[in-house]
Order: sequence, then C-alpha cells, then structure tokens
Amino acid sequence: MISRVAEHCFWFGRYLERAESTARVLGVTSHLATDAGLTPGQTWHPVVIVSGEEEPFTARFGPEALADGEAVQRYLTWDGESPVSIRCTVGAARLNARSIREVVSLEAWETVNELHLWVDGPRSREAFEQDRYGFYRQVRNLAQLCLGHLRSTMLHDEPLEFMRLGVNLERGGQTARILDVHHHLFTALEQRHDVVETALWLGLLRACSGYEPFMKRHHGLVNGEAVAAFLMLEPRFPRSVRYAVHNARERLEAIRPPEDAGLPGQDSVARLGTLDGWLGVLPREPFETRLLHERLTHVVDEAARVGSDIAREFFGQGPV
Amino acid sequence: MEASGLFEGTLPLPGVYDELLDASGRPREPFRAALEHLSSRGTEGFARCQALAELALFNQGVTFSVYSDQRGTEKIFPFCLIPRVVSAPDWARLEAGLVQRVTALNLFLDDVYGDQKILKDKVVPAELVLGAKHYLPALHGVRPAGGVRVHIAGIDLVRDPEGTWRVLEDNLRTPSGVSYVLENRRATKRLLPQALDLARVQPVDHYPTRLAETLASVAPARARDPSLAVLTPGPYNSAYFEHSFLARTMGIELVQAPDLFVDDDKVFVRTTRGPRQVDVIYRRTDEAYLDPEVFRPDSMLGVKGLVRAYARGNVSLVNALGNGVADDKAVYAFVPHMVRYYLGEEPKLEQLQTWVCNTPDDCAYVLENIEELVVKAVDEAGGYGMLMGPQSTLAEREEFRRRILAEPRKYIAQRRLELSTCPTWIADRGCVEPRRVDLRPYILTGRAGPWVLPGGLTRVALVEGSYIVNSSQGGGSKDTWVQKEAP
Repeated sequence: MISRVAEHCFWFGRYLERAESTARVLGVTSHLATDAGLTPGQTWHPVVIVSGEEEPFTARFGPEALADGEAVQRYLTWDGESPVSIRCTVGAARLNARSIREVVSLEAWETVNELHLWVDGPRSREAFEQDRYGFYRQVRNLAQLCLGHLRSTMLHDEPLEFMRLGVNLERGGQTARILDVHHHLFTALEQRHDVVETALWLGLLRACSGYEPFMKRHHGLVNGEAVAAFLMLEPRFPRSVRYAVHNARERLEAIRPPEDAGLPGQDSVARLGTLDGWLGVLPREPFETRLLHERLTHVVDEAARVGSDIAREFFGQGPV
Repeated sequence: MEASGLFEGTLPLPGVYDELLDASGRPREPFRAALEHLSSRGTEGFARCQALAELALFNQGVTFSVYSDQRGTEKIFPFCLIPRVVSAPDWARLEAGLVQRVTALNLFLDDVYGDQKILKDKVVPAELVLGAKHYLPALHGVRPAGGVRVHIAGIDLVRDPEGTWRVLEDNLRTPSGVSYVLENRRATKRLLPQALDLARVQPVDHYPTRLAETLASVAPARARDPSLAVLTPGPYNSAYFEHSFLARTMGIELVQAPDLFVDDDKVFVRTTRGPRQVDVIYRRTDEAYLDPEVFRPDSMLGVKGLVRAYARGNVSLVNALGNGVADDKAVYAFVPHMVRYYLGEEPKLEQLQTWVCNTPDDCAYVLENIEELVVKAVDEAGGYGMLMGPQSTLAEREEFRRRILAEPRKYIAQRRLELSTCPTWIADRGCVEPRRVDLRPYILTGRAGPWVLPGGLTRVALVEGSYIVNSSQGGGSKDTWVQKEAP
C-alpha cells in the first residue's frame, strides 16, 4: 500500500486509542479520589505525569494546579494545544481518517466523524458540565464502536493491520505508563490500610479496564504484586503490556513477514520481535516488583524506538 | 392536491418554465403520483425529513472545503430534498444529444492535436483555437490510448421558457459534482423511498463501476491487469470529498503527488513494499499544476516528468491533457459546426446564441447592447469573471466595455436566459418557492464509446431572483430523478 496512506492508518489507530485511554483514565480517577481517600494531589498529579504533560501543564497553571482535579480534567479534555487532550486526539484521529477516506470503511468513518463533531460542538460541553461520567463514557463508547467497525467492516488487509499496529503500540505504552506511575505512588503511601489499598489497586485495574478480567484470574485476592504482574504480563488480557506488544508484533509480521528479507522493515520487525520475546519469558512468580520500574521504562523506550523504525522503514521518513 | 400540501400556494414565476409544476401550479402529469405523495407530508413533515437529510450528510462528512479559510473549513453543499424530475421521453432526447455532442468534441480534440483538418477547412477559425489559453502545442501529435480524450464530460444544460433544453457550457477537463449525485440519492432513498418508487426512478449508483471500466479500458496496451489511481491535490482541496469518494467506491487507490515519481519515463507509486508502476491516473489536479517540468514550475502539487511518461504512452491520464481548448467559451459557439463537420448530422441539442468578441461585428454588437447581455470571460468558471447586463450598474458595464476592448478574444456574450425553476424548500420561511436550476449530466467515454449516467447534478440558485447556481456563490443541489420508460 501507499506509504503515506499507511502512515495515516497507523496514526488514526494511535490517536483513537489515545482518546479512549485518556477518557477512561480521567473518568476512573474521578472515582478513585472518593474511594481511596487520597488527597487531590495524590490523585491528579500521577494523571498528568502519565499524559506526559507535566512540564507544559505546570508552566501554564503552576504546580498547585496539579492538585486541582477540575484544572487537570479541563486541560486533558479540552486544551487546544496539548497533543494528548481528548479534543485534540479525537480531532487528529478524524483528520487522519479524513485523509484516507477511501481506505476507512464508511461505518468507521461516520463514527469517528460523529465523535469529532460531538466533541467540537455544544452538546459535549453540556455533558461535561452536567454529567461528567456520561461525557467520558460517550467518548469511550464511540471510540470503541469505531475500533469495532474497523475490525468488522474492513478487509483484514494491510491498511487495517497498520491501524491495529498503531492501536496496540499505543495501548501497550499507555498501560506501561499508567502502571509505572501509579504503582510507584501507591507503594510509597504511608499509613496504609487494607481497605484503602484494595481500593487503590482496584482503581488502577479499572483505569485499564482490567477489573473483571483480574477478578476472574485471582478470585478477589487483590494486592499490588498481583495487579502489577497481571497488567504487565497476563497473556490473555488485551490491555496487558505483554498482550499489546505481542499483538503489535503479529500485526507487523503480517504486514512484513520476517522471512521476506527483501522487503523494507527489517529493523522494526527485529526490534519488536526482541521486545515481545523478552516480555514472554519474564517470570510472573516470583514477580520481581523491585525491577518493575526499570522494566516498564525499557518497554516504553523500546516501543518508542519501534515507532521511529516504522516511520523510517515504512513511511519513508529519514534515511532508509 | 391536498389543501395542507407541501406545494400549496407555490406558483411558477410568470414566463418561466417550471420543472415540476404547470402554469397553474399543478404537478406535471408524469410526476403526479410521486409529487402528490410528497405533498401529502405537508410542510411540517417535510421540514423534519429535510433536517434529517442535512444531518446525515454532515455526519457522513459529505462536505466541501472553503478556500477562503486557511484551515479549510468544511461545509455541506446545501441540499434541497425536493427532487428535480425528468420524464423518460425528455431524457431519451437529452441522452441522444449528449452522446452526439461528446462524440463530436472528442473528434474535434483529436483533430486539433492531429491533422487540424477542421482549421484548414476554416469551419472553426484557426486563430481562435490556436490562441486559446488552454491549447497545448507541446502535445501536438500525442494520441492517448484508444484516441479517447474526453473520458468524463459534464455538460451544463438549462431550460428556456418553452421547455427546450440548451447547452450552457461544456466541462471537459475535470468536471466535478458526481459524488453529490450519488450521496443525494442515498439521502433521498433513506427519507423518501415511496416517492422514489412512485416516480419509477432510474438508479445512479452503478456510476463508480462504469467509471472504473472506463479507466481500465484506456490503459496502455502492455498493462494486462492495469493499476488505476485517482490523483488528488489533497484534503484541503474543495473537492477532496469527491476524490476520496470516487477512489473508495471504485476500490482503487487515492494518491497525492508526493506519492508518485517518474523513473525511465514510467510512473511509480511509493508503497510499503517498494515502488509499483501505475497505468491509469484519473487526475483531479488541474493541468497547470500537474508537472512542474512542463507547466507551473512553482507547483507543489505536481509530479516531475509525468507529461514525458504520458507522451511516451507509458501512462494514461484521464481526462487527456489539453482538453481546455474545446471547452473554451468562444470555441463553444462553434460546436454545432463540429457536429455537422465530423458526424454529418444536425445537432440534437440546442445551445445559446453567442457573440464572440474576437469577431469585429460581434464585438460591436456586444458593446452596443451590453445592458441586455451576459458577458463571460472565456476561460473562467464558477460564475466568476461575469457581467449580468440586466442587473448591472453603469460602472460595472463601463468596466466590462474597457476589458472587452482591451482583450476581445477573452470575452463572449449571450442573452440572459430565463432559466427554468424547480420548487425548492426555503428553510427560513418554512415554505416552498420556485428557484432557478441547471443540470449537469455526466458522460463517460471509454474505448466502447459514450455512456450517459441517467441522472445528474441539479444545481439550484437558492437566493431569491438569482441566476447563479454555483456552490461558491450561494448555490445548492437537488437529487435528479430520471424516470424509466413507461411499462
């Protein structure tokens, strides 16, 4: 397929996933504050760190705003300059899709277009002010509906593979960042109390849509180590780091089989394959919690390098 | 007609032909059943349908971009759900006339870029043709595959007060609008299915299939399974929706200039698996921006070497290059002569009497009678570069007199025609009023000859009293229903 089109497919997938993820994290965090009795700073500061926006956010609103849930939510929802705000990611997903209308199925296009028109229009502002939960839910639902349309109405062919590659790389990176930041915060809290601690880990699971899947695996035994191991390594949970990286690898290898040495993509395939292989042999028991931060950092860094390799080898950016 | 009906109180303008209603405001006989059904919805019922149609078009992104805004704001092309209907016998006559006209125009272009017999025989003045802005001497002797040059034609037609169809202008370069024909029909099918059935309307949704066949039929001879592509200037082009629509519905790739490159006089597209040769390009980029080697060197939209590849016969371009010489508004005056010259037939379609300012007698007449005439620049479109004499101010007329005297070749004049009207929904008044319309049918020509899509784009001047239907100047569109032959 055309390199430019492949690039739009990839970013369409990434932005769609990012919009959904931001909406989910913001929605869950609002509840977390109530359930776990955290201070507003403990609640919202990590969200800003996960978004990668700590520096611009603090520069504009001051460090005290990191403890202001409303300020954080407004920024990550509406800010016109932040590349991670819901408004911008939805707009970017839709703009990428619009540039490849001939590739995106009609159903998927209509969904992302409706999501964009809604977010950009007055009805979403109204929902945000009057029914915050409903607002986040609507963003997640339309993004999910669009992802569903992509898989059920498009040819399972290269364009879709590039979209899903984007979705899975983004998803793996998001789970890794959410887990890293929150795990660090929760384990550092003083005067821990069982009930509170359970509420924290459940909140983290919900932020990754992993509450029910985790319970099915662990039957109610909630503790930091089990949750971290689940979100990082559970091979059958679609938002675990391992699953997302493995799925991204499958997508990439469908696009460019490892044995076709003559085709572009050698470095991307090799690097993603190595990362997936490494995750696949990490032990879940004993789960080495003290190495969690180091390992998640490795995942995030390698995923970013895979992204640059893909841009260079498939989208024709920079030297091949 | 029912008392509370949608068309109640709608009367055609005096001295003007109305497409749907007779002089007393009753539906014309062939459309009676469908219009009575439509009318029975009443204004409220209809207003609801109209709002739903607009919402659907907006959500689907059936939009055009507005150039004046840097960010490329998208708007829907205003759409009126009340259709324009054409009866079967009317359409049969039109169809035959369109096939004849497009055939003659194709032969004319082939001649101009070949032996130039028609110029030598002085049927069309040589200086008019060879001096046309869009004549491309560099392409003399280059004959496209199958000799087809006007693969896609959009012929603009109007109806005079007697109900006679007349050609207003020919669009033989990159006529646009067909995607709205298909999308308007989709909206109508959803909202007025019964009226559509009652009117026994011919389908239009096979257009993309026919277009793909047309493109494949003119591929260079060596290509057995030709690789086709639509070339667009990009998402900020006003017609981008249509470009992506056509690529999507034909199932072929939509490319932008940077996706293409020329090597060894062959055209390749950059893919994730390396370069792949392209055989046929339906190019929606204006010719002037197509190849910086030949046309505008500052073009960012072009592909260097594309014209060389085309001249070598390694790639087919649709439409062919240089067609502008045949849709020049001064050359238009001679199309009836072309029909007689090439086909030995009388023209089946009327057109407008035209004064060509390049001819001294015509020029004198135009200068003298400018107040009654419509003056048009020969190489402009979209309703620009025009003087509507009867509605003009003295200063405007003086300005055009000056321009004509300075460059007579650049201007033609015609009488202002009382364009026909069609009942149209006027949202802010909540009622139906007659508004002027034109019709652009689409004619595809592949190796097998011309084919006319049974339908077309009906454009409507939404502003009361206006004669200008262009979307850039407050025009909207309607679905065009062509009826099947009576059983």
